[in-house]
Amino acid sequence: MKGHGGHQPGFTLVFRRELARLRRRPLLLALTTLVPLALMTVLILIFSQGLATRLAIGVLDLDGSDLSRTIVRTVDAAPETAVAVRVADLAEGRRMILSGRIHGLLMLPHDLERDARAGRRPEVVFFYNNQTMTSGGLVLRGVNGALSTVAAGIRLSLRTAQGQPVEGARAAIAPIPVQNHALFNPTLNYAHFLLAALIPSLLQVAIFTGMAYAAGLDLETMHRVRILRRLGGGIGPALAGKLLPYTLIYLAVLGLADAVLFDVLGLPLRGQGWLLLLASVLFILACQLAGLLLALLLRPTAMAVSIASILTAPAFGYMGIGFPRIGMNAFAQGWGALLPGTWYLTARIDQTLRTTPLALSWQPVGILAVFVLALGLLSVARLLQLRRQAGKREV
Amino acid sequence: MRELLAIAWGELGRIFRLRPVFSVLVLAPLIYAAFYPQPYLNEALRDVPLAVVDQDGTVASREFVRRVDASSDVAVAAVLPDLAAAEREVLARQLDGVLLIPRNFERDLLHGRAAPVALYADASYLLLYQRLAGGVTGVARAFGAEVEAGRLVATGVDPGVAAAATDPLPLTAVALFNPQGGYATYLLPAAFVLILQQILLIGTGLLCTLPRGQDAVAVGPAALVLGRLLAVLPLQCLALCFYLVAMPWFLGIPRLGPVWLILFTALPFVLAVAGLGQVIAALFRKPLTVQLVMAAMGLPFFFMAGFAWPPEAIPEFVRLPGHLLPSSTAIEALVAVAQMGASPADIGRHVALLWGLALGYGLLAMLLTAWRGTKHQR
Repeated sequence: MKGHGGHQPGFTLVFRRELARLRRRPLLLALTTLVPLALMTVLILIFSQGLATRLAIGVLDLDGSDLSRTIVRTVDAAPETAVAVRVADLAEGRRMILSGRIHGLLMLPHDLERDARAGRRPEVVFFYNNQTMTSGGLVLRGVNGALSTVAAGIRLSLRTAQGQPVEGARAAIAPIPVQNHALFNPTLNYAHFLLAALIPSLLQVAIFTGMAYAAGLDLETMHRVRILRRLGGGIGPALAGKLLPYTLIYLAVLGLADAVLFDVLGLPLRGQGWLLLLASVLFILACQLAGLLLALLLRPTAMAVSIASILTAPAFGYMGIGFPRIGMNAFAQGWGALLPGTWYLTARIDQTLRTTPLALSWQPVGILAVFVLALGLLSVARLLQLRRQAGKREV
Repeated sequence: MRELLAIAWGELGRIFRLRPVFSVLVLAPLIYAAFYPQPYLNEALRDVPLAVVDQDGTVASREFVRRVDASSDVAVAAVLPDLAAAEREVLARQLDGVLLIPRNFERDLLHGRAAPVALYADASYLLLYQRLAGGVTGVARAFGAEVEAGRLVATGVDPGVAAAATDPLPLTAVALFNPQGGYATYLLPAAFVLILQQILLIGTGLLCTLPRGQDAVAVGPAALVLGRLLAVLPLQCLALCFYLVAMPWFLGIPRLGPVWLILFTALPFVLAVAGLGQVIAALFRKPLTVQLVMAAMGLPFFFMAGFAWPPEAIPEFVRLPGHLLPSSTAIEALVAVAQMGASPADIGRHVALLWGLALGYGLLAMLLTAWRGTKHQR
């Protein structure tokens, strides 16, 4: 590597200097590529099945009749549930739930079949662990579905036994069937809904902290700031040359993860690809500028990195993917609105899962553009302010 | 022994003297406790806005809509003329679903035919979808059962027999814990364990990478590692009580387990994390590196634990090595003890695994510290 002497000051010089620095500093390179990629890989592997199926439940069958065996078989055949154990009493079932071996316990009472045929409405009880709400809800759905299938059979046979034609009986047992259409995500796939949102959130943390660090390398002292400005021949080209190498790297990292999401895990792209790309670039730039601003406001760099991670590490909850933003209090809604990720995820869901028409797609992308503009202006203003302060001190 | 206590006392002093360590181990827990729970404080998602397209416009269809609106999960926010207008509202995120009641709804009901309704619910946010689907299906089932029973009674069937014929096999679903299905009750106890781990990992990482100063006495690696474990224990005891006892009480999250059992279960967890923190420190060596590398790890660590995403759905080759993280075991064990009232016997295998991790990471930290020491001397 030759010195910078032979080059004209400007954007290209700073850009090249930053690339050389990435080659020289394995930590910096790892933080922008290897670490986020490795963590994304772990997340992708965790959610690679997309659907949670065959969750373990226990059965306490006190009847042992044809009907109770049919129920157990139907529950085991439901996609959500698998009958993993048969327990001897309720206490054993409770212990199995508490030790995390099963998610629920289905209890079929004595004389189930006799009472059901006689119309005495025997009570089937399903105890489920709702502390883990995702799996609790899934096993309940499985058992519910299986039991109404079995019950429908009984109702049908009760009616046909009275001489009703099968067709009429079938209509009579479900007077108001609900045709459920799960818009945008018909299979309720968690990879498309949760994983696709976790990846940008992870990147948001990586960019905020990584850029606070990378910017800190040039901004921790006024002396280094002056060098950067002189190399760039002005604040504008210097900042652009400083940031752009990382923009490209982060875009490649996001692109790699998205390639897996789209090509392997089947995430649909129902909107405009170019709009998604535009939103991604704006999101990355907004996060970068936020990291830069933190490095400009807080010294030493370690302090900027700490604050960057305090701001972004718990941010996922605020972005309204698990618990929607409409259900949050005013503070959480307001704070969520200040995170670039909130708007990027909105734009991302618009362009991937939804068939959002172009006219309705601009709002989140526009907000991201405003973020970039505002954070950029704030960064330049802070740089000018630092320069004035340093000037005064020297006088 | 006296030497060990002296080291522990010295390290405890450093925790309070060194600003970065103090910030992470003392200030960060306070900040996160106030900041992290905010999105979930409303606990439940109620009155998810739904549009109705009523093509029937009869007494029966309006009664059905009224009942949907009255349910706690769903609110009818607009009545729109056609499906296209309603879909646009959903795409614009003004509403989250559309309930379509087709023409002849009432006539079909009166003639004893099936009178289907259609629900189009936004599944790009799963919780919204679950609320809408659950709310509308529940209303349709109850309304339908009334209609069916009414028909049977009208044909001269005894009301009791009619009820049995409409619902011969009633299912009673009993939510053993978190019966209200509160989101804060579900998420926060688990998230707090992860926060405790991340704070302690970074805190010990910083404590061990920041220079000990010239006047520090030279000590053996075993004594140093053990001394640091001892030094973080009293602070962690406070942090545990704060996060696992005081915060749930303050947020109204039920706690069934006694405090002593929570602390007893958490002891190997704290030791394992503090040991792992020292291992990380020996590997990364610089305080800033520790902070940067650890920053984004929380998200994958949380989902690895098989709490928010069922363990059965995580591939074995990820889930099994995932148990090397103390949080993967501790989240399940501590939530079982604190929120579900599990006894020591119920979580025996969890506690045993955590003690194993504590021992393993402690020894590894000693080995790495010793190895780094000899490298320094050379």
